[in-house]
Amino acid sequence: MSHGVMQAAREPNPGAPSASREPVLRIRSGSKIYGGVHAIEGVDFDLHPGEVHALVGENGAGKSTLCKAIAGAIQLTSGEFLLDGKPTRFEQPRDALNAGICMVYQETSLVPTMTAAQNIELGNEKLLTRFRTLNIQAQQLLQSLNFHVDPATPVALLGTAKKQMVEIARAIYHKARIIIFDEPTASLTPEEIVHFFHLVRDLRSRGVSIVYISHALEESLQIADRITVLRDGKLVITAPAREFTREALVQHMVGRDVAQVAYRKPERSHQRREKVLTVENVTMGMTVKNMSFSVYAGEVVGIAGLIGSGRTEIAKIIYGALKRNLVNGGTIRLRGKPIRYRVPRQAIDDGIAYITEDRKANGFFETMVVDDNVYIGSLATRRGWSFLLSRARRSKLASYWVERLKISALQRKAKIIELSGGNQQKVVLAKTLVQDPSIVIFDEPTRGVDVGTIPHIHGEIRRLADEGKAVVVISSYLPEVLAVSDRILVARTGRIVAEFDAADATQDKILYAAVH
Amino acid sequence: MSVQSPSRGVAATAASSRFGAALGKPSQEQIVLLITISLLVVFGLTLNGFASVSNLLNLLRSISILGVLGLGMGLIVISRGIDLSEVAIMAGSWAIALIYMQNGMSVGAGVLLALGIAVLIGIVNGVMVAFVEAPALFVTLAAGFVIYGLAFWIAPAWVVYAPKDLPSLMYFGAGRLFGIPVPILVFAVAAIAMHFFLSRTSIGRFIYAQGDNPEAARLTGIPLRPLIVLEHVLVALLAWIAGLVWIGTTGSMQMAITQGTMIFDVVLVVVIGGISLVGGRGSVFSVVVGCVLIGTLLNAFTIMDVNSEVQNIIKGVVLLVSIVLDNWLHPRDEETARQGD
Repeated sequence: MSHGVMQAAREPNPGAPSASREPVLRIRSGSKIYGGVHAIEGVDFDLHPGEVHALVGENGAGKSTLCKAIAGAIQLTSGEFLLDGKPTRFEQPRDALNAGICMVYQETSLVPTMTAAQNIELGNEKLLTRFRTLNIQAQQLLQSLNFHVDPATPVALLGTAKKQMVEIARAIYHKARIIIFDEPTASLTPEEIVHFFHLVRDLRSRGVSIVYISHALEESLQIADRITVLRDGKLVITAPAREFTREALVQHMVGRDVAQVAYRKPERSHQRREKVLTVENVTMGMTVKNMSFSVYAGEVVGIAGLIGSGRTEIAKIIYGALKRNLVNGGTIRLRGKPIRYRVPRQAIDDGIAYITEDRKANGFFETMVVDDNVYIGSLATRRGWSFLLSRARRSKLASYWVERLKISALQRKAKIIELSGGNQQKVVLAKTLVQDPSIVIFDEPTRGVDVGTIPHIHGEIRRLADEGKAVVVISSYLPEVLAVSDRILVARTGRIVAEFDAADATQDKILYAAVH
Repeated sequence: MSVQSPSRGVAATAASSRFGAALGKPSQEQIVLLITISLLVVFGLTLNGFASVSNLLNLLRSISILGVLGLGMGLIVISRGIDLSEVAIMAGSWAIALIYMQNGMSVGAGVLLALGIAVLIGIVNGVMVAFVEAPALFVTLAAGFVIYGLAFWIAPAWVVYAPKDLPSLMYFGAGRLFGIPVPILVFAVAAIAMHFFLSRTSIGRFIYAQGDNPEAARLTGIPLRPLIVLEHVLVALLAWIAGLVWIGTTGSMQMAITQGTMIFDVVLVVVIGGISLVGGRGSVFSVVVGCVLIGTLLNAFTIMDVNSEVQNIIKGVVLLVSIVLDNWLHPRDEETARQGD
């Protein structure tokens, strides 16, 4: 029973892992080949007991492949795999689990209809268990981890952060001594991230070894003892985290200097331009309550706020993808004219664009190539519609946007699902911008986008504003909001609670407004 | 990923898919086509009378009704929908029209009446699915029963015969043009028209987009609801055309077919050819290839005098094999599918 294990492992960690200690896991020149191509090639990796080891690299660099090999989800094509110094081979994830290796996946792997307690025990059930016993055991475990989760709640009713807590509790329950976190903070609020870091440090002090994958480099620098950088499936460098800076990491990841785009922040004219969009007291159920703000032509408005603050919902309401309350739902005006769209198509006809936060779920058409994705965006508008398809127009539109957004031209013949996250996001941008909107709402424009591509997307956001469009950027990533916005709004519990001019805004001020 | 640093992962998948297309993994259409051609060669060499022109024409003719129905089903399955009332629309609309024709309605009016009934049912199906947002599976299953009941009420007979001496009506089933039976030509024209519609028009593109990802289609501004109604109307239209051929072939309309397994044969030819039930995949070519495969098997069985139970077993096995094939060709959890993460 996990409870006992954890008590036994209570002694504090004797500090940073010393080189003299035997690594709990060691991979020597590990390679994995898919369809004749190396996903990872000759990678050396070792993990000491009680260390946090961050894996860093662009999309497709081989981080996930390496972690799956460690967790037994795939087998290395060649190379040595030593666990506690002994050669080991996992045929399936279950073998790894029995050896105490547990992977906490990006998409949570819990059974939604089961309770937290049932999920924690999943895979280890006895033939008969009393619910009461089960719940008490789970409650003890959760409390010992400082998690405030009711073990009797079905997982479907829990928030993302709590689901993750259940996953971690499950890993502990299964006596994990190596835990792999794949993008653990992607869907956590800043507050929850702080909490999560406490937990990681706590696990480390119990002697658990942690492999940590995250897009946010600051996190890796903050939490990790050592960092390994992968590029194109090869090991670039492994070194203690304190020897890196953010810039150095980026340089290792992309293998060159990344030009920091210097944003031209135009002197904000005191004489305001045309007010394009006005949101007045808009209300939808319990998620959006009396939200009000305006957007002007030629400016970028950033909306910061935690998940669940109503940021995404207000965007979807404006766009017609969600419906606000019919009675007392408030008013939305487009250049003074009240609007209430039933379907997004009407919003598109009026020149409003919304770029989704979840491109995989509803951003692009995965069976189609880049050109078709862009062309279909145009076909779906009144002006771009024609009964017969035109190859000439398709390739003209696609070429323009591939060029303008610097979409990797090699991949135009590839299905979009095969592209990197950054290129996928650019295709989604192209598919929307081809509709020639005058108001563009970006929702998490750089989520899951590799660092080399982020400046391109930020540059495009500024360019749209410079062209005179009204741009709204919704983002959980504060440095992004600060970098691109002229004006910053902060949403909390369905309201806009603060407004800052870009010149006065700081991360602390925004965070304070978002949480308090 | 930036232009300057193309990632290995992406290059890997792009390369492996090209590699796969060239060697390892052809499309399902190509595999089924290959199997069909080998079967044709084997049967041609071993079965007496199989390779004759008249038998091959007979083979094609026997699949033309199934093929026309399959075109409609293929269209709606590509859009991630389904229409289980297609056979009932064919039988019901024509049975009612034939009764009126027996009672003195002119051929032209009767044909238009059948068309009107079919389109009306298509609209009702489409509105139920698109606007009431009921699941297509249940809407069309229920519609099939309602049509069967209504038609039987208006025309209380298992078999409704066409009035005698109507060569113009019989032409589409029994006629020949340049020595080729007209049903084959009807199937060919319908297939070409459908291919043009799906691959060369923007509505066709929208249908693929809807099947690929309905929510993305909605957010892109594709008018989904009118599109769904249109799809169901097109299915009904093809059912009406198939009914025209059916009457010409048999001289009657049998209500019994709405209670049989014909609708599953229609789904079978669509799925075998590689139109995935997931939506967004496959083409008219899939339907044609699927039809020819089934037609070849059934024709050979008839020559070999295989009884119908065994035929059903083989049809079932073919369906299972094609689903396994689909899984092999479109693996759900392969690493490659996640490289873009």
